[in-house]
Amino acid sequence: MKKIDLKKLKQLDVKKLAKDFWQGKPHGERRLGELYEDKTGLYKHREWRGVKDTFYYFNNIWLYNYIMMVGDIMKFGGPVIFAKGLWRYRWMGQTYLPVLHWFDRGLEGLRGEALRASAWHYRAMVCVTINQFMNMFKADANLHGGKHNEAWHHSIAHKETVWGGIFYPWADKFTHIPLEMIPYFVTCHVNNHTVLNYIDAVQSIGLPGDPCPMCQAEAGLFVQDDMPDYAPFVITSNEACDGSVASTAIQDWFMNIPLFAMPQPMQFDDPLVQEHCANEIKECWRFIEEQTGVPFDWEQLKKNLEKQNELQRFEWEKWDVAANTNHYPINGVAQALYRIYQSQYGEHYIWHDTDKRVRKILEKCVEQRIDTFPMTRHRMIAWSCAPLYYSHWCTWAYNCWGLNTIINMDSLMFDMEIRTDNLENTVMDMAKYHEWAPMRRMAVGGMHHIFELWENMEKFHCDMVMMYDQLQCKGMQGVVGLFEDEFRARNIHAIWMPHALPDKRTVSRAEIRRIINDYMTTVMQEEPLDPSLLDFDDSESW
Amino acid sequence: MKNAFKLLSKLIALCAGIYGLLFLVFYLDLDGKLLFRKVEPMLVKHYDKMERRDPLSMAYDVNG
Repeated sequence: MKKIDLKKLKQLDVKKLAKDFWQGKPHGERRLGELYEDKTGLYKHREWRGVKDTFYYFNNIWLYNYIMMVGDIMKFGGPVIFAKGLWRYRWMGQTYLPVLHWFDRGLEGLRGEALRASAWHYRAMVCVTINQFMNMFKADANLHGGKHNEAWHHSIAHKETVWGGIFYPWADKFTHIPLEMIPYFVTCHVNNHTVLNYIDAVQSIGLPGDPCPMCQAEAGLFVQDDMPDYAPFVITSNEACDGSVASTAIQDWFMNIPLFAMPQPMQFDDPLVQEHCANEIKECWRFIEEQTGVPFDWEQLKKNLEKQNELQRFEWEKWDVAANTNHYPINGVAQALYRIYQSQYGEHYIWHDTDKRVRKILEKCVEQRIDTFPMTRHRMIAWSCAPLYYSHWCTWAYNCWGLNTIINMDSLMFDMEIRTDNLENTVMDMAKYHEWAPMRRMAVGGMHHIFELWENMEKFHCDMVMMYDQLQCKGMQGVVGLFEDEFRARNIHAIWMPHALPDKRTVSRAEIRRIINDYMTTVMQEEPLDPSLLDFDDSESW
Repeated sequence: MKNAFKLLSKLIALCAGIYGLLFLVFYLDLDGKLLFRKVEPMLVKHYDKMERRDPLSMAYDVNG
C-alpha cells in the first residue's frame, strides 16, 4: 500500500483546493492534456469545471442531450427503424453513438455563458442530423424489403452541395434529404474513423489517391453499397468544383434513377451568368413538377424563405457582437459548424428554437458586459476550408495558446437575405445564394472573393489568420503563393494549416498542433497557457 | 401517512442513487469507454463481414 506523504499533505492549501472545487481551476492551472488517456483521447475523467458549470454540463448538456436524442428518435420514426438503420449502415452505427464525445471535444475548457450558448448550437445540429437519418430510414427500400413505400415516393434526394431552399416550394408535401450530409459530412466531425472506409473503397476500384477526398468519400459510400435507397429522383450540382461532377457520375451509375444536374457558374460576378443560373433553378423546379406531379407552390417558397431570412438577420446581429465586442458567447467550432449546417440545409424549426435561446444568452452577455473568452491573446479569422476531422482545433488553440477564432470563411458565405416581393426577384436572389455556397464563393469562385479575407479581418478586428491549406484542393493550391505574398506585404501573422479535409491520415491532428505550437513559440515568442496541451497522442481518438 | 412518507423517502433515495450513478458514468467517461472499447469494435466487425451488393456489376447506361 502506498504510504501517505505527510509533508505533502501539510503543504496542501485547503483554501485553494476548496476554491478550485467550487469555481474550477483558473485557465493557466487546468492542465487539460492530463485528462486524456494515451492515444484514444478518452478521458481518465471528464473535466471538473467548478460546481456550477460541471453540473450544468452534466444536467443540461450530457444528460439532457442523451434524453433528447432518444426523444428525437421516437419523434422522427421510432426505435425499430432506428435499430434497423443502425445495423445496416456503417456510417450510422460507427459514427453517431459517441456523439456526446463530439460535444466534449468542442466544448472543452469552456465556462459560463460560452459553454451554454455553444452547447445549444451542438444540440440543434444533433436534432437535424437525427431528423435527416430517420427520414432516410423511413423511406429506405433497403430497410423495407425492397419496397417503395409512401415515404420513398415523398422524398427528394439531392447532393449535399445543393442548398435545401431549392425545395421550399414542396416543403409541405415532400421531404428533401441531402445524399451525403449525414453519411459523409457530419460523420467526419463526430467520428473520423468511419469515412476512411469510403475513401479506401473508391480507391480500391482504381481511383488515384490525389483527387479531393470529399468527393472520394461521397463516391465511396456508393461503392460500398452503404447508401439508403430513399427517393425516386435526385438533383445534383457541380458545387464546389468539377470533383463533385465526377462523384456524381458514379452516383448516377449506382442510383440509376432520374437525375437533374443543376450546375452553378464558377465565375459568378457577371450579371448574364446570374440570369443563366436563375434559369437553371427554374428548370430544376419544372423537373420536380414532372417527377412528383405536384405543382410549384409560391406561397410555400415565400413562407420558408421569410423564415430563413429571420435566421440570417439574427446571424448578422451575432456577427456584430463578435466583431465589435468581447462578449460573443459562441466558440469557433460551434459558430462554424452551426452556421454552415443551417445555411446549407435550409429551414428547420430547431434553428429558430436555438436562436431564441442563444439570443437570451447573447443579450445577457452584452448587457452585463461579460468577457466570454477572457484568456484571448489573439483574435483569429479562419480562412478557406477547414479540416473536418479536426474542426475543434480552435477549442484546443484557445485553451493552449489563447487563440480565439472569432469567425471563419464558411460562416460568411451566404451573407444575404432573399427578396420575396415577386418571383423574379426571388429567383435572382436564390441564384446568387446558391452560387455563394461553401467552397465556391470564396474558395474557387474567383480571385476577388478569396481576398475578401482582408476586409473581413478588419471588420472582425482580427490580428491573426489561420489559413487552411487543403492539400488535395487543386483550386486553392493555385493561390498559396499569392496569399504568402499578400501576408508578407500586409505584415499579417498567418499560420498555414495543411490538411486533407476528412482524411486524418495525411496530416494528423498532432501534426496540426505541432505546426501551431512552432509558430507560436518561434515567430510569436509566446508561452502556452496550458503546456499540458502542447503534445499528446490522440491518433486513435474519434 | 407514515407508509406514504416511507415510500416517498425510498423513491427519493432511489432517484438520488440513479442520479449519483449517472454522474459517475459521466465523470469517469464510462459511456465513452464502453462505446470505444466494446460497442464500436463489435459494430465494425459486423459491418466488415456484412454481405453487400456489388454496384460495379451494374451496367452504366446514361440514357437508362
